Amino acid sequence: MTEKRIPHTDLDGLLGRLRERGAVYAPARDDAGDVALTQAPLDDPMVLEYRNFRLSPKAFFLPQSQTLLTFCDGEAHEPSLPDGETFLVGVRPCDAKALLALDKVFLDGDPPDPYYARLRETTTVIALACTRPMSSCFCTSVGGGPGDGAGADVLAVGLEADLLLRAQTPKGEELLSSVADLLADATDDAVKEAEKRVGAAESLIAPVEVDNSAQRLRDGYDSPCWETASQTCLGCGTCSFLCPTCHCFDITDELRGTRGRRVRTWDCCAYPLFTLHGSGHNPRPSPKERWRQRIMHKFRYAVENLDRLFCVGCGRCIRNCPASMDLRTVLRELGA
Amino acid sequence: MTPSHEIEARLRETAEELLREKRVDLFLGYEKATLPFRTTPLFLTSPEEVERLAWNPFCTTNLAVYLPRLFKAPASAREAERAPPLPTVAVVLKGCDARSAIALVQERQVPREKLVLVGVACPGMVDVRKAERALGEHEALGAGEDALGNIHVVVEDGREVTLPREEIVADACLECRAPTPSLPDVLVGEPVEGKDPDGARRQTDEFASKTLDDRWAHLQDELSKCIRCNACRQACPMCYCKECLLDQTRPRWVGTSTDMSDVTIYHLVRAFHMAGRCTECGACARACSMGIDTRLLTRKLGQEVEDLYGYRSGESADVLPALSAFDMDDAQDFLTEP
Amino acid sequence: MARNPYLPYPARIDEVIVENEARDIKTFRLVFEDPKSAVEFDHLPGQFAELSLPGMGEAPFGIASSPTETDYLLFTIKRVGLFTTEIHSVEAGTAIGVRGPMGRPFPWDTMAGKNLLIIGGGFAFTTLRAAIKYILDPANRSRFGSILVIYGARTPGELMYKDELTEWQARDGIDVHLTVDHADEHWTQHEGVVTSLLGALKPSADNTLVLVCGPPIMIRFTLVSLATLGFSEDAIILSLEMRMKCGIGKCGRCNIGSKYVCKDGPVFTYQELRTLPTEY
Ligand SMILES: Cc1cc2nc3c(=O)[nH]c(=O)nc-3n(C[C@H](O)[C@H](O)[C@H](O)COP(=O)(O)OP(=O)(O)OC[C@H]3O[C@@H](n4cnc5c(N)ncnc54)[C@H](O)[C@@H]3O)c2cc1C
Ligand code: SF4
Ligand code: SF4
Ligand code: FES
Repeated sequence: MTEKRIPHTDLDGLLGRLRERGAVYAPARDDAGDVALTQAPLDDPMVLEYRNFRLSPKAFFLPQSQTLLTFCDGEAHEPSLPDGETFLVGVRPCDAKALLALDKVFLDGDPPDPYYARLRETTTVIALACTRPMSSCFCTSVGGGPGDGAGADVLAVGLEADLLLRAQTPKGEELLSSVADLLADATDDAVKEAEKRVGAAESLIAPVEVDNSAQRLRDGYDSPCWETASQTCLGCGTCSFLCPTCHCFDITDELRGTRGRRVRTWDCCAYPLFTLHGSGHNPRPSPKERWRQRIMHKFRYAVENLDRLFCVGCGRCIRNCPASMDLRTVLRELGA
Repeated sequence: MTPSHEIEARLRETAEELLREKRVDLFLGYEKATLPFRTTPLFLTSPEEVERLAWNPFCTTNLAVYLPRLFKAPASAREAERAPPLPTVAVVLKGCDARSAIALVQERQVPREKLVLVGVACPGMVDVRKAERALGEHEALGAGEDALGNIHVVVEDGREVTLPREEIVADACLECRAPTPSLPDVLVGEPVEGKDPDGARRQTDEFASKTLDDRWAHLQDELSKCIRCNACRQACPMCYCKECLLDQTRPRWVGTSTDMSDVTIYHLVRAFHMAGRCTECGACARACSMGIDTRLLTRKLGQEVEDLYGYRSGESADVLPALSAFDMDDAQDFLTEP
Repeated sequence: MARNPYLPYPARIDEVIVENEARDIKTFRLVFEDPKSAVEFDHLPGQFAELSLPGMGEAPFGIASSPTETDYLLFTIKRVGLFTTEIHSVEAGTAIGVRGPMGRPFPWDTMAGKNLLIIGGGFAFTTLRAAIKYILDPANRSRFGSILVIYGARTPGELMYKDELTEWQARDGIDVHLTVDHADEHWTQHEGVVTSLLGALKPSADNTLVLVCGPPIMIRFTLVSLATLGFSEDAIILSLEMRMKCGIGKCGRCNIGSKYVCKDGPVFTYQELRTLPTEY
């Protein structure tokens, strides 16, 4: 595992080198003042101070609308897959970790998903450790942490004057060696400083008890808390669409004259139509069953099927729910 | 302006009395949420739990949105037979929310006699996003209100920051025309006046004064952020249709994608269906996690109907909604002379 | 490289057969454009496939033909919504896409050596037809004990596969009983719901497995009758329907608890179903 250092002042040089290879998305401030992953022009310095992006980077791997097939005169064709490289710089550790969850479904699943596989293959993720977690963060309770590099190809930790860069995957190793001339060796002091910074961030995160959640949710399936907790659910898709691990999708056809496409679009288990049968029967008829499904999927079904929690503790669903629902509340109530 | 804690106490008393005397089955109010600057709707059924009720500058949700589902018409005659009797519901309403509740009565979605409208004279609610943006990279750990109504925030390093209320109040509140609910059954708090009742017009007029191309460009720019999550529709008390045109599959009027054509149609359809129905509460815009001002179009169309027919939704339970009424001398040249 | 799982095999509708009086159930006979697809499409009764008309949508349907019918695939489809209405409007010769086969078939290995009781109701009889054709194939018949079929529909006009039913009733090696909820003047067989016929026939549970497909209400009452007759939960095999899109365990639409109906089902034993939430 290679560990390197790059002074903040050389970061633009690094981004420039990546730009020679492909599309680079790095944190930049938008008009409204929010920091978002942006394909910024060269002269914008990379923003290093931000909490997390409003949108998770999942759309880079599972685009919200993606053409699966095109139709021409009644014949179906595969769209050509992208082959250019993409670099995502500054992804937060929780969001990088979410890729491991998506991998379970789209890469390890039988059959693998060719569209996801290609985007995953052509995209390199450089994560940036968090120093200032939010009150909605709970990554440390779900197997992650502000300095966790799992799911990323390179993990960067911001130090006083440098970034410490740690290769996490062969792709990350290759990347670091390709820009080796810009990098210095990591010193013991740098490694220690990184540890200290990550430790400090960790200590700010309030734990949520999710150990053994699968068993506890099995026991809590009929709990009255689902009814009370879901009363306020408006049935919108904010939580799912912002969530870095939610991956349910719809497939619909579009046709104009003799040309058309089959497109997959994000979908959400909170929508009543999600499970409605042709007969009018709905296996999950009310917000109670639908909200329970969301929690069960993340904290029980995914554990039972794929041996992984489908929540990385990013807190987006908590911050953005228009009714201010908080999944930590039901997890606590169920002791899950 | 009545202090929030007094309003809160009155709300608790009111709820306790209504529930204890079984005059209502359900009291809909607000409860503190887990994160600062937020509250969450509270469905209260027991007088013992009224202490959970909260009133503070963060009571943003328009609770009228929950009313139609409580009074949903049975799907079939068979279901009607088995359906439990309709509940009686007390609901806490700010000025704009009260308009929504009345509009729902006007549109026959909820029976007036089953409602106890608990109006609160509203000093304007805090917009979470404005508040969080005002803090910059600081993270709020807790937030409260001082005697002047300004917002005190404790941030992550323990320091206290004061945010002037008017700087972080929601846009809809800044330009509210009727912050004191009309026609409540109970009114809590001293009546308040709108701060800038002409504000609503200013923004839409400014939009209307742009060239067609600029208007289109503005809309496309805003809407390009849309992720089609449906939060705007779901948070809107007037979007109660059993089957929304935007969801229909036979035929499918609107594609499911986030291509600009689909997104634009989505919002135009929603706006058109709000003509003369939007109660200007801003629930859609607040619900939008992408920060899109979804209210611009709906309010614009509300104003068109106001100008043409002198009608504003939710001002009187007895008036027929503009789109349900017909008069021989109704303005109609906008149909024939576009 | 592995085949793109979203890319259907091109096929053509060869024949369309109206199955019922209401004319809302039709059987479609499909032939693959490329004989190689037919080889790759290696299925067993109980499995399903996603059918699509380019630009008109895609939907899952049980495969109504047996793999022993090698030249074609059959699907019997009731008109209910967007896609099904569309496919009901097309004629022989139309191009159609087929993805599959998908899902877990009936447990043929466990069924070998057993007597089989096959209970069907309404238009859900499709994969049971495939099963019966498969069993009756000379190469397979000796692998199974006695075969008792109970099939019911609302009226005589709603019974599907009428010619085959007549043929099966006439031949040896299978015992087929029909029932209708409401008889007409020509009906000479049993009248009443499926469970009333089941109660009258009182099949033995000894060394017997049951396949049940039908509307939820029929299934509910049939399960009660089967319990009375002494059938254990692991001897009862059911096929479920959920809303589906991808059919390959990715779109997250068809789960019942931690089971995905498209991958882990649609065939489940009653014993397996009992461990799942009742969200179906
Ligand atoms: C494993 C499996 C096997 C199956 N096998 C068979 C089979 O062999 N034969 C068969 O006929 N079917 C079968 N089905 C069912 C079949 O898949 C559905 O009938 C089909 O998907 C319906 O597709 P559609 O496009 O016609 O309906 P859609 O139009 O897509 O309907 C989809 C949803 O939209 C709703 N909807 C549509 N129109 C309206 C409207 N106007 N108002 C309100 N809601 C509406 C419907 O309620 C439905 O929930 C099977 C299903 C599964 C899962
Ligand atoms: S469930 Fe919520 S907290 Fe967990 S990963 Fe998804 S959005 Fe983040
Ligand atoms: S809430 Fe916002 S993002 Fe969601 S559909 Fe409405 S406008 Fe689009
Ligand atoms: S149909 Fe997509 S997961 Fe089963």
